Amino acid sequence: MKIVSWFLAAIITLSLAMSISANPKRIGYIVNYGTHEWYQNVIFGLQSRADELGIDLEVMDANLDINKQTQQAEDFMTKGVDVLIMTPVNEEGVVPILRKAKAEGMPTVLEGNPAKGMTTLFAICDYDAGYKAGDAVGRILVSRGESQARVMDVGLPLLSATLLRSLGFMEALAQHVDAVKVHELDGSGMIDSSVEVASAALAADSNINVIYGINDGSALGGLQAWRAAGLPEDDLVVAGTGSEGLAFLNEMTKEGTPYLVEAAMFPEGVGYTGMNLAVDLFNGVDVPEHKVTPTLALTVHNFAKYYDFDKAGQKRAINFENVAKIPTETKCTKYSSDL
Amino acid sequence: MKYFQTNESILFGLLVLLCIFLSFYNPQFYSIQNIHSILRSSSTVMIVAFGMTILLTSGEVDLSVGALMSFVTVIVMDVINITGSISLGLIAVFGFCLFIGLINGLVRTVLNVNSLIATLAMMLILQGSVYVYSMAAIYNTHLIPLFSFIGQGFFLNIPMPVVIMLFILPFFVVLLNYTRYGRYFSSIGSNPDAAKLSGINNNRYKVIGFVITSLLVGVSGVILASLMDTGQQGSAKGFELIVIAAVLLGGTSFMGGKGTIIGTILGILILKIIDNGIILMRIPQEFQLIVPGFILILAVYFDGVRKKNSG
Amino acid sequence: MNNILKYLRKGELALFIIFLIVFIIFSFSSEYFFTLRNIMNVSGQLSIILIAAIGFSVLLIAGEVDISIGSLLAFVSLPLIEIMNITGSVPLGIILCLIFGIIIGLINGYLSVYLGVSSLIVTLGMLFILRGAVYLYTGQRAIPDELMSDFFFYIGNGKFMGTIPYAAIIGLIILLIFIFVMRNTSYGRKLYAVGGNQEVARLAGYNIKLLKLSAFVICSFLSSISAIILASRIGSANHVAGDLFEFQVVAAVVLGGVSLAGGIGSLTGAAIGVLILSVISNGLGLLNIDTQWQLVVNGVIIIIAVGFDELKRNRSL
Repeated sequence: MKIVSWFLAAIITLSLAMSISANPKRIGYIVNYGTHEWYQNVIFGLQSRADELGIDLEVMDANLDINKQTQQAEDFMTKGVDVLIMTPVNEEGVVPILRKAKAEGMPTVLEGNPAKGMTTLFAICDYDAGYKAGDAVGRILVSRGESQARVMDVGLPLLSATLLRSLGFMEALAQHVDAVKVHELDGSGMIDSSVEVASAALAADSNINVIYGINDGSALGGLQAWRAAGLPEDDLVVAGTGSEGLAFLNEMTKEGTPYLVEAAMFPEGVGYTGMNLAVDLFNGVDVPEHKVTPTLALTVHNFAKYYDFDKAGQKRAINFENVAKIPTETKCTKYSSDL
Repeated sequence: MKYFQTNESILFGLLVLLCIFLSFYNPQFYSIQNIHSILRSSSTVMIVAFGMTILLTSGEVDLSVGALMSFVTVIVMDVINITGSISLGLIAVFGFCLFIGLINGLVRTVLNVNSLIATLAMMLILQGSVYVYSMAAIYNTHLIPLFSFIGQGFFLNIPMPVVIMLFILPFFVVLLNYTRYGRYFSSIGSNPDAAKLSGINNNRYKVIGFVITSLLVGVSGVILASLMDTGQQGSAKGFELIVIAAVLLGGTSFMGGKGTIIGTILGILILKIIDNGIILMRIPQEFQLIVPGFILILAVYFDGVRKKNSG
Repeated sequence: MNNILKYLRKGELALFIIFLIVFIIFSFSSEYFFTLRNIMNVSGQLSIILIAAIGFSVLLIAGEVDISIGSLLAFVSLPLIEIMNITGSVPLGIILCLIFGIIIGLINGYLSVYLGVSSLIVTLGMLFILRGAVYLYTGQRAIPDELMSDFFFYIGNGKFMGTIPYAAIIGLIILLIFIFVMRNTSYGRKLYAVGGNQEVARLAGYNIKLLKLSAFVICSFLSSISAIILASRIGSANHVAGDLFEFQVVAAVVLGGVSLAGGIGSLTGAAIGVLILSVISNGLGLLNIDTQWQLVVNGVIIIIAVGFDELKRNRSL
């Protein structure tokens, strides 16, 4: 009798241990804007890790429609996925979804921005990413013997995240030189709108030597406007943000380009980290409120360590190992509540 | 006195007032660079608006122009990347645009679907299928200088997009004002039954209107691709509304029958100068939405009042 | 069953069959589709479009159009959430939201009907103005619902007896009321007359301007109700809410056989149009089909359905 109960106890303990370490089977991800290169690469990272762990990843794209995102969350609850990952179209707009998920007992993980009622979040530090780019640009200006940075900020005031990037960039720049923001623009984060507003701004005042874009499209739009205005590129420094896709690699590897700095956010790494976080949450492991993913100022000299870029084939492959080695903040220097 | 009662002269007056106001506010307004910037960004709108003017005159509308334009930027960049030939890129673009224009026209005329709906549906189809064509943006890997010249270059110190627009412009001024075809389009729009009775093949001209508009979108799309140096899905967002608003502001009626290219050009210049002025004056960019909204309503209202007074 | 068939007139019957086909296809292809839970979810989800579509159809039938409803959705949720946050009273917020909606309807209607500017242009202008105003007022930051009252949460998220979404009930009641109004009251018949043949309506001595104005107000008023449900579902007054909403509503309503020319169509048809598009969106989502394909499918269905409808109508003439 005693042996039997020992045996039973052993089985129970073993199965408990197994259930703790068992991975979720199905994970749902609602992306806010799935056609954007950044998010395609986030999905690539999520999928890479899901494949390694044998998890079935299902993706729905809200396509920037906040109402649709709410519906998709309901649909995932109907499907009964094990963990729901979401990039909110708008962080205030997902509060009721989080409340519903909690009532359902469905674990949720957010990407990007914190929202009221969330459990855990994986995201880069926007301020710090911008700061690193500003720091790199500042060093370049100092090495050129310049004492002033006159900046055209091709921004996106729609999002607090992008405002933080601009802020970090300017504050880091001010550590090196006298930094003035000559233009503060809304390029909608799109290259075509950025070309347009930057053209007008440059016409009003083209006495600038730094273009900062809150993403790659904004930075390239600013640079394209500069080129279309026929201005000389010798003293200009362009910095973009995101390492979203191929755009910055194409430009940065051109001979004589002023596009010298990229505040890389490694979207594939973001996805990879996010999948680990979702698994931890499912398994009841203690998860941080904000899991910070790495950012780094990339230049033409160091990008090859993180990206294997095939220019002819228009492909890039991330080196997950090296990205994971980048020293990363445990907490961001500034959050949107500091704005 | 009579001269000042035409819609164009009122718009022209408004334009002059705007320019005077802005130049007092910021002398940079008259800098060559700023004029270049305004004209360059106006010309892509104008090129498409020429076609839209014809369409609206004949009582039709095309909401798919923005979605088509972003598709064009992707196609032209991709085909030139692959083939290394600008001509092949252009052939692909205009072949595609011809195809889309034909479909729009045939759905309108054969299936008899209201063009607002037909082209709204086409907009959805193009917005979706551009990602089916390629999920990723297409970057310029061919690096052919001539291609960059199309959007970014200058000819006699005039930006190339403006040169292209000026090259296309006369065809449409002549077409609408000095040929019977211009009259056909407006009579189809103002009185389709009478047009039919007088022996005009309404449907054929409508299809031609859709095809012309799509081909012009091809031209603007190539310019945009060159300007962005990228084939970008999701670019030209809301382009259709800007084009339509400008054409309407220019005095073309949504009910068909009335429209001038000069009015359209003035309408676009006014909207673009307001956009530019808002940046120049460092006013919050949200006003780029609000001000045109007011101007559109006011312009059409005064147009109506004037017609009532004169009629 | 016979009554239902009689009620669904010819065109609507064809639409209803399309709906059934779509429904059956999804029932077989997704194990989650034909479940009580999913069907209830969809009925709640579609109420936002349905309620606005009812108002939009009434206005189309009266021969006018309002494409500013998407911007209106974002605009009227500002007084809703702000007043709720300040006063702590949900009813007060709702009332003010509806009043704002009515005022915008009056402005749209006054400019279109009394000043004679085409309603397409007035509301196109209003689309820009309202969206710009929302951006300016909010500084492009969503205003969160800080009251977090259960009552407000339940409007868009709660379920009656844990099963039927309150939003669906609201939508159904409004639909029934307006089907009755449009079919069985003289006011409804007058609206059809005004939109169908103004000359006849004028000869009959109807107050065309007032009738049209009332249709504008109905459209904005019902869109404001949609705005309340949406605000509850997204817990905020959101500057990105309702973007391109007008296109979704136009597509559904026209698919449902309501003519842009005025005077033709029924609310039953419009409701089936909403049903079809919502079910397709839900079904494709459950099957993990990309949003991009959903756009293509919607576009093709609209062309086929409207084209088929027109061909049929022409043949019967």
